[in-house]
Amino acid sequence: MSAGASDSAVGVELVSHFATVEQQKHAAVLGMWAWLLTELLLFAGLFLTALVLRIIHPEAVQEAARHLKFWIGATNTVVLIGSSLTMSGAIQLSRLGWQRGMVRFMLATAALGTLFLVLKGYEYYADYQEHMMPFLSDRPYELKDSPPSRLFVNLYYVATGLHGLHLMTGITILLVMTWQASRAGFLTRHQNRIEIFGLYWHFIDLIWILAFPTLYVLNR
Amino acid sequence: MFGTHDERRILWRHMREPVLTAGALLAMLGINVALGATLPFPHVWIVELIVAGAMVVTILLFSMEVRHDPPLVKLFACIGFFWVGILFTMTLVDYLSRG
Repeated sequence: MSAGASDSAVGVELVSHFATVEQQKHAAVLGMWAWLLTELLLFAGLFLTALVLRIIHPEAVQEAARHLKFWIGATNTVVLIGSSLTMSGAIQLSRLGWQRGMVRFMLATAALGTLFLVLKGYEYYADYQEHMMPFLSDRPYELKDSPPSRLFVNLYYVATGLHGLHLMTGITILLVMTWQASRAGFLTRHQNRIEIFGLYWHFIDLIWILAFPTLYVLNR
Repeated sequence: MFGTHDERRILWRHMREPVLTAGALLAMLGINVALGATLPFPHVWIVELIVAGAMVVTILLFSMEVRHDPPLVKLFACIGFFWVGILFTMTLVDYLSRG
């Protein structure tokens, strides 16, 4: 069975407000980067707050961080690096016009993203069992004698929850795009959509690469 | 999926860089996880931050292919991280220099 080497050429359909396809592709990349940088600044503020908390309340943060599931965090990092690899595979195959293989790589990427969320959900469940959710009024907080630890734990949920939301959005967009990309003629007209989405996916990976050491590793 | 010898050869030629990138990222993650799990020396966090920084640069240059982008995109990416650098430096200088 072939990899789906397409009967059709790979390309981008020129829209009216661009002079050339190259200009259109560069504008799309630049626009995506402009948005990604706003996202970077958003997450940077959260990570910086975590570092400041670590400096101001070292004992409380270390005590709270001992309850984080270090090995699940590490496993999730491996999962996201794997998903970045499959996303790169989808991009490479889209450039070759191998539509069927590209679609399979996209599905693998969505599956790995989902696995990340499942592991993260299990981590939250374990935190719930250990009474490590200080924002729940009906459930006594495990470290109630350490008020500054609440700040760190709440920040942990905001940062990882926001990352999870981005990942969930990414998986949804990816599945819709996979459905579109499996249709005949997609790569002839919209190949660069795969490239642009790839930037977003790699960026989600990049944010987790920063979140893991900031929240889990540095505070041990 | 990739039946013929030629297809596998073409696939490997295109996937070599992503595979090597993922391998490098996993190796650096292994270093950080080992350091985090064993805490072998004081101030190990400096090494952990350097390794995390190297992972970010690897993703930017190889996974996000910034090195192949036009100069304007490179400038955008650099300025974004430069802003984050200013934010971190000025804030941490304040907190770290308090008595």
